[in-house]
Amino acid sequence: LHFLRQAVPWACPGQVRSYYVDWRMLRDVKRRRLAFEYADERLRINAIRKNTILPKELQEVADKEIAALPRDSCPSRIHNRCVLTSRPRGLRRRWRLSRIVFRHFADHAQMSGVQRAMW
Amino acid sequence: EKNESTTSKDSTTEGASKRQEGTAGTPKQKLLDIIGNMKVEVSYRKKLQELKASESKKQAMNRLEGPGSEGPQGTTEDIQREKPLNPELVKAASAVASSFPLNKKQTESELLAQLRRHEETTDKQRKGGTVNIRNVISEMTVKRQSPAQRGVRISNRISLEFDEDGQRIRPERFSSQSFDSRRSLKVGKRLNIFTKASTEPEHALKTVSSPTIWDLEFAKEIAAITAQPPRNGFEEMIQWTKDGILWEFPIDNEVGMDDGAEFHEHIFLEKHLKGFPKEGPIRHFMELVICGLSKNPYLSVKQKIEHIEWFEKYFEEKKEYLQEI
Repeated sequence: LHFLRQAVPWACPGQVRSYYVDWRMLRDVKRRRLAFEYADERLRINAIRKNTILPKELQEVADKEIAALPRDSCPSRIHNRCVLTSRPRGLRRRWRLSRIVFRHFADHAQMSGVQRAMW
Repeated sequence: EKNESTTSKDSTTEGASKRQEGTAGTPKQKLLDIIGNMKVEVSYRKKLQELKASESKKQAMNRLEGPGSEGPQGTTEDIQREKPLNPELVKAASAVASSFPLNKKQTESELLAQLRRHEETTDKQRKGGTVNIRNVISEMTVKRQSPAQRGVRISNRISLEFDEDGQRIRPERFSSQSFDSRRSLKVGKRLNIFTKASTEPEHALKTVSSPTIWDLEFAKEIAAITAQPPRNGFEEMIQWTKDGILWEFPIDNEVGMDDGAEFHEHIFLEKHLKGFPKEGPIRHFMELVICGLSKNPYLSVKQKIEHIEWFEKYFEEKKEYLQEI
């Protein structure tokens, strides 16, 4: 079924990317996936930790448990990158793009509702 | 008179069923007497006589051979000519049914049904037969598509256009072909002969041969070939909606969230707290958890119950540790 790969981009304008841009983007993707998987557990263990009612010993045990979870499951390790160029800085959050890519598409009128500012 | 005759006939016929040929004369004569005594129209006398003769022959044959299903039909032909369903007729029917040793209730019901049917037919015949014609004509439907059909047939013979030009032509052709076959494909009640049988082997096959790789590959190939590229923007949007990329319009804010669970299942979650001790810091903690969950509109009831159960497991594991303290 190798002919399918060539048949895929028939209706898609622009580029078709079948790989991640670089390894840093791949690592970020893995972190996001793990964070999603462990989100519930982290929430519950943190609810036990950040508590004034439960005994402190229980909270210490919870501290150790949360430290034992995989490091990449922590949501604060996720860093937003540009979706197209994997640039870590200069991002517009609404479009998930770096400033350079955003400017490129906006100037070519490929961003819906985006116009050059003039006032 | 007639009650006595029927009762006497009953006794005699019961006796006759036990005996053999020789006693065939007396019950037959009794039956004939009954039928002759019943109300008969002037026009049907000759027919009755003919039927009586045929019925006598039939009954003789039946008594010789044995009890059979032809008997009740012969008797009903005699009785059918009566216009009203007299109670006497009903009694006669019951008597006739009782005369045959097999399936008395069945024969009786059959006789009565036939009586009713023949009543309707006699009424129709008396009205002159126009009713029947009207019924027949109303059942018949006028074929108004014949010029279109002729055109389509000619076009069928001349050209064979495929889907490239337009997909509209083919479904029209299929409908015309069904009409060509004189409405025999789609008309008529479904007998449901094949539906049950078709479902059973499907289930059997599915359980056996579902995981073969060749079947999966074949299915993938077919899906890839049949998924033609979209010809326009509308088809592209349809494909996106099927894939889940595009939302369905008008936008429904509760697309993936509608459990069908009532509000009380979301709010009153105390019944899930049965596994916890009734006093102590853990109970206090769990009540706060439940208060927070009841105010949460984003979780489903199942997710909330899972949340509480996770805490149950966690505290049970830590029980031993807690008791040390």
